[in-house]
Amino acid sequence: MYRLTSICSLLICLTLLSGCWSSKEIEERSVYVGMAIDVAEESAEEKKLNAQGGATPIEPAITATIQIVPVKSVEGGKQGGESNGEVKKYLNNTQTGDSVFEILRAYALRRDRAVIGHHLKVIVISTELAEKVEIENLLDFMLRDNDIRPSCMIFLSRSKAEEALYSNQPDEIPAFHIVDMVRNKFRNNKIMKAMTLTTLDQYMHSKQSYMLQNIAATKGETEFSGAGIIKGSTGKWIGNLDQEDVSSISWIIGESGGGLIKTKNEKGKTIIYEIKSAKSKITPKVKGTDISFHIDIKTEGRLIETWSSDRDSSEMPILLEAQDAFVKKLDESLQTTLNKLQKDYKVDVAGFGKRLRITHPKVWKRVKDDWDEVFSRSKVTYSIDLKITDYGSSAE
Amino acid sequence: MWSVIIDHIPNWKIWMQGFAAMFIAMAFYITHKKLFAWGKQGTLRTSKQDQNKEQQQLSGNFDTDVVAIKERIGSNSDVNFRDFRISIRSSKALLVFVEGMQDEEIISKQVMQVLMDNSVPKTEGYAIQNDAQAFSTYIKEKILPVCKVREVSEIGELVEFILLGFNALLIDGMSNALLVGEPKPKVRSINEPTSEALLRGPRVGFTEVLSENTALLRQHGRTEELQLTMVEVGNRIKSNIVIAYMKEIVNPELLKEVEDRISNINHDFIAESGYIEQLIEDNWLSPFQQVQNTERPDRVINAMLEGKVGILLDGTPFALIVPVTFSMLLQSPEDYYERWLPSSLLRMLRFFVAFLALMTPAVYISFISFHPGLIPTELTITIIETRQGVPFPSIIEVLILEISIEILREAGIRLPKPIGPAMGIVGGLIIGDAAVQAGIVSPILVITVAVTAISSFAIPIYSAGITLRMLRFVGMIFAAMMGMFGTILFFLIICIHMSKLKSFGVPYVTPHSPYRLSDWKDLFIRVPVSLMKQRPKMMKTKDDKRK
Amino acid sequence: MFTRSDDKITSSQATVFLTNSILGAGILTLPRVLTNAAETPDVWLSLIIGGCIIFCLIIVMVKLSQQFPGKTVFQYAGSIAGRFLAIFPCLLLIVYFIVIAGFEIRVLAEVTLFFLLEGTPMWAVLIPFIWVSVYLITGGINVISRLFQLILPISLLVLLVSYLMSLRIFEIDNLRPVLGDGLMPVFQGIKSTVLVFSGIEVTMLLVGYMESPKQAVKAMIAGVSIPLIIYLITVVIVIGGMSTDAIMRSTWPTIDLLRSFEVSGLFFERLEFPFLVIWMTQLFCNFSCYFYSASLGISQLFKLRLRVVIFALIPLIYISALIPTRMNEVFEVGDFIGWTGLAMFLLIPLPLSIIWLIRRKGMKINV
Repeated sequence: MYRLTSICSLLICLTLLSGCWSSKEIEERSVYVGMAIDVAEESAEEKKLNAQGGATPIEPAITATIQIVPVKSVEGGKQGGESNGEVKKYLNNTQTGDSVFEILRAYALRRDRAVIGHHLKVIVISTELAEKVEIENLLDFMLRDNDIRPSCMIFLSRSKAEEALYSNQPDEIPAFHIVDMVRNKFRNNKIMKAMTLTTLDQYMHSKQSYMLQNIAATKGETEFSGAGIIKGSTGKWIGNLDQEDVSSISWIIGESGGGLIKTKNEKGKTIIYEIKSAKSKITPKVKGTDISFHIDIKTEGRLIETWSSDRDSSEMPILLEAQDAFVKKLDESLQTTLNKLQKDYKVDVAGFGKRLRITHPKVWKRVKDDWDEVFSRSKVTYSIDLKITDYGSSAE
Repeated sequence: MWSVIIDHIPNWKIWMQGFAAMFIAMAFYITHKKLFAWGKQGTLRTSKQDQNKEQQQLSGNFDTDVVAIKERIGSNSDVNFRDFRISIRSSKALLVFVEGMQDEEIISKQVMQVLMDNSVPKTEGYAIQNDAQAFSTYIKEKILPVCKVREVSEIGELVEFILLGFNALLIDGMSNALLVGEPKPKVRSINEPTSEALLRGPRVGFTEVLSENTALLRQHGRTEELQLTMVEVGNRIKSNIVIAYMKEIVNPELLKEVEDRISNINHDFIAESGYIEQLIEDNWLSPFQQVQNTERPDRVINAMLEGKVGILLDGTPFALIVPVTFSMLLQSPEDYYERWLPSSLLRMLRFFVAFLALMTPAVYISFISFHPGLIPTELTITIIETRQGVPFPSIIEVLILEISIEILREAGIRLPKPIGPAMGIVGGLIIGDAAVQAGIVSPILVITVAVTAISSFAIPIYSAGITLRMLRFVGMIFAAMMGMFGTILFFLIICIHMSKLKSFGVPYVTPHSPYRLSDWKDLFIRVPVSLMKQRPKMMKTKDDKRK
Repeated sequence: MFTRSDDKITSSQATVFLTNSILGAGILTLPRVLTNAAETPDVWLSLIIGGCIIFCLIIVMVKLSQQFPGKTVFQYAGSIAGRFLAIFPCLLLIVYFIVIAGFEIRVLAEVTLFFLLEGTPMWAVLIPFIWVSVYLITGGINVISRLFQLILPISLLVLLVSYLMSLRIFEIDNLRPVLGDGLMPVFQGIKSTVLVFSGIEVTMLLVGYMESPKQAVKAMIAGVSIPLIIYLITVVIVIGGMSTDAIMRSTWPTIDLLRSFEVSGLFFERLEFPFLVIWMTQLFCNFSCYFYSASLGISQLFKLRLRVVIFALIPLIYISALIPTRMNEVFEVGDFIGWTGLAMFLLIPLPLSIIWLIRRKGMKINV
């Protein structure tokens, strides 16, 4: 009797052991770290493969490229063997289809290892595509998937998104390269704070307009160049802001941690101001149905570079002069940007709505559905308080 | 509405699974219970069956007794019989002893010389002519200048004592036999226990002689409260056990429980204290030890001051301490001899190390095979690159390397001294490296296994280290079945088992729970000695304060 | 007595037991449930007010149980309201516990299968879990409390550390404006907060087991405050990190928050992993509470041996876990549980207290 029960229990244990359903060794999976989504355009290989009996979608909507690391090599034990110069450490794979999920599953037809998205860091969408298709639709799969973490960053690309995932540096993986570049925000205020899927989710739900960092890519070099504007109500891309505009907006938001103001002094020589700290406070003022904003910008920094060797820049009058010149320049940039936002594009991407929501929630409730329009009619004034606190270690 | 309900009634497969789950669980439960009872029954003495041999008494007649003794043990080649005559009444006397264990000095000078000496002390007050009992009393009290003298009247007992090394003295006219002196077996000197070496602390360890061990305990200082009671165990070969405790501190119920369990031991011969440990523990199926063993007297004394009971066995230097809890297995006396800050850090390190020794391979397997998304990206890429050529799934890889390490460890214990350490280095470095080069295992695994192996050696008590080593194999199997979920279930099962385990009535997981703040002074950190004024509450001692 | 007589737990153990029976699957969906009800970030205020209401409920239950020292609700309900009348609500309570147990374990399976183990069949996750739980509760309430006391501090520690790490994406602006829409949303949120505290009914069982029932009030209040504080911190940090809009679109907001950032440099770059580990152990404790309470109920109501009842309940719980066929239904069961919890309170402790008071007053008048 006891023997029977123990034998039965053992057999059942053995059967349990045989079913390791989700077990798949790590080297049998393909990790993709970057994704680029473009307007549908079949590559040459795809056309040839499809001609041999593949399923041709009737109206393909997108082309997706994924960047897989590491590249599969035959022997794993020998690292650091003979590397013949330009060994790429990643592999880009392109596929065309109707939906992101379908494309990812289609990779199973071409690759021998299943792709997993746990380490997806970067998604680049071309502005061409974002103009035609709502961002929400493109990113829907990423939000629903269990693999892809919402910490992944979204970028736009002026040219084909695929090009952002190329690199001419050996040993560099473009996706990681882009992620690391974002960390340079403290050096240059033309870089925006990274837009993760979570923050994007928020904007998409509340139907507010926002900007996404733009990447310009050519011949394997990538650069952050300005931002693209996505209009809240349609969810599509409507235009670009250049780097100066991104810089001005970061002044407005108050996130100008690092960066500079470049202008010419009254003698026409270039002088540069390095920002040590910059704070801004947006105060909404509501009078009846009239909404206006006032921005207070306070910044301290140092005179870091002058191209005028004939004057002693450490003297007070010179410094005050320089200060005025900087203020003027900042004023101009801000004005240009605000004009673009209010007149050309008619969107609010600088967070004015957010401030209004906090200070006047009832007013916000009234206007929020039409906010872009209301904002373009609002008056925005600003005051800049700039102080050059020091001039570095060269007292000339 | 009905359709909704019918829709939701699960189909027959689910019912089957539910009932199968129930039956399998019941099968396990019943098997466990039966197994436990079957193992336990061996330790209980069902009837007093040890009094089979009839008690044959000494007759009082010298010659018959001598013949009886010679019959029983005369055939042994190492038993010597020395006849002589004592000066009192010129009676015949016989000295029986076993070679190799007698003290020549005592026998010659203090027994034979005295007895043969012609100057006889006065015999008033002792009616030695007629009363045999009085004669033995007279011999004992007036003649023999020996410390230890014992009277024995039963032949079986006498013979056993002779064979143990005592010298038996039979004198014509005495009703009993006398055992004079003590056996002096050859022993080794007192030196530091090899398995429990400390950097700071007394370098003494117990030896195999019970009297020396009890002496070591007593030598710690003057106290009236240290109580040592002697008990005999074993059916065929009887050994002495000493139960040591502090009279005023120990909880009397605990003491009674210990004495009861020891008296219930029903075994031929208790070779080592390990036998006692296995025969008196609560749960023989548990991988955790419920009795602590040690070679150090200072550990025993400290434990007794906390209200625990110490058990010493003749013939082994390993003493037992009961009851024991899990946290004690991670403590070392050095914790108390150093200052509180380094001790606390070391103690926290030990908890971490115990966790590592148990869980590292399981966590490795779950990450590699099931959840690559949980490792940092750069590490993932490195692992994929290095694992490219490995042909085995991770569980097999880990098993190969872990079992090799266990084999190396076992071999290392038995290798002769000169080769031992070299083998360790050879095994560790070269074989591991060669395995990586051959492509059988990945380098990350070698590091994991090395960390595990070293962690299990950092645990101060060797038996606890063995436990964790065993359990990590079970953990690996759980992890291989269900990844992180399996690892978590394994961890929960271990915790539940420890929560259920009791050592002599003290729950094994005290003082982790129930929360008694004062007991936590000695758990993760060690509070300065000046603050440790009270004994652990979990022992329910009679005297709380350490005055 | 040296060997502790079993079946008595200290006050701290009772506190921990109650904490574990409340802290469960709710913590994952809590921000979303609350925000959906109120649509403003002020739900933390509703949580505080809801917590106060729960305190009152607890005190009623404790006071009632203290009148019958050593007995659980199943035992004394009969003596208050008569055996036949009391069986029905007690049975309802038992069924309620079984439903919650099934729900908790189902949520665990869903989350585990979604985030950790893809491809494993549901029964392979549920059945071992139930078995380990059976292993635990056959030890009786002492073993259960000891395990809970072992696990709770680790859970809390890891939880707090994870939340601390998530401060890097915390923006205080997401929580403002405070009371921007007035107090109405706060009141609307209160409804949902009470639902998330289901599980307080085990108080009626616990007080009977306590060593010193006099301290029951303090212990139980402490037992509810810990989940309250944890929920509060969760809500504040999740809303701050994700803002209400993102929360309303996320199925498991708490996990999403932890997946929204990476702490580079630590070994655990991805903090959802320790969080999920802790959450699973916490859910195990939670599930065991209900399993035990249900078995205890049946065993005390029908005078059966506890072990037998535990084994007999295995298939029932397994089936109740598999009754909902899709995710929507799972959440519906969750809501249903919340409402039933409230109904349970109105059905059991309240009437019993009233009847008891009336009878006592009646007796006093008679005597």
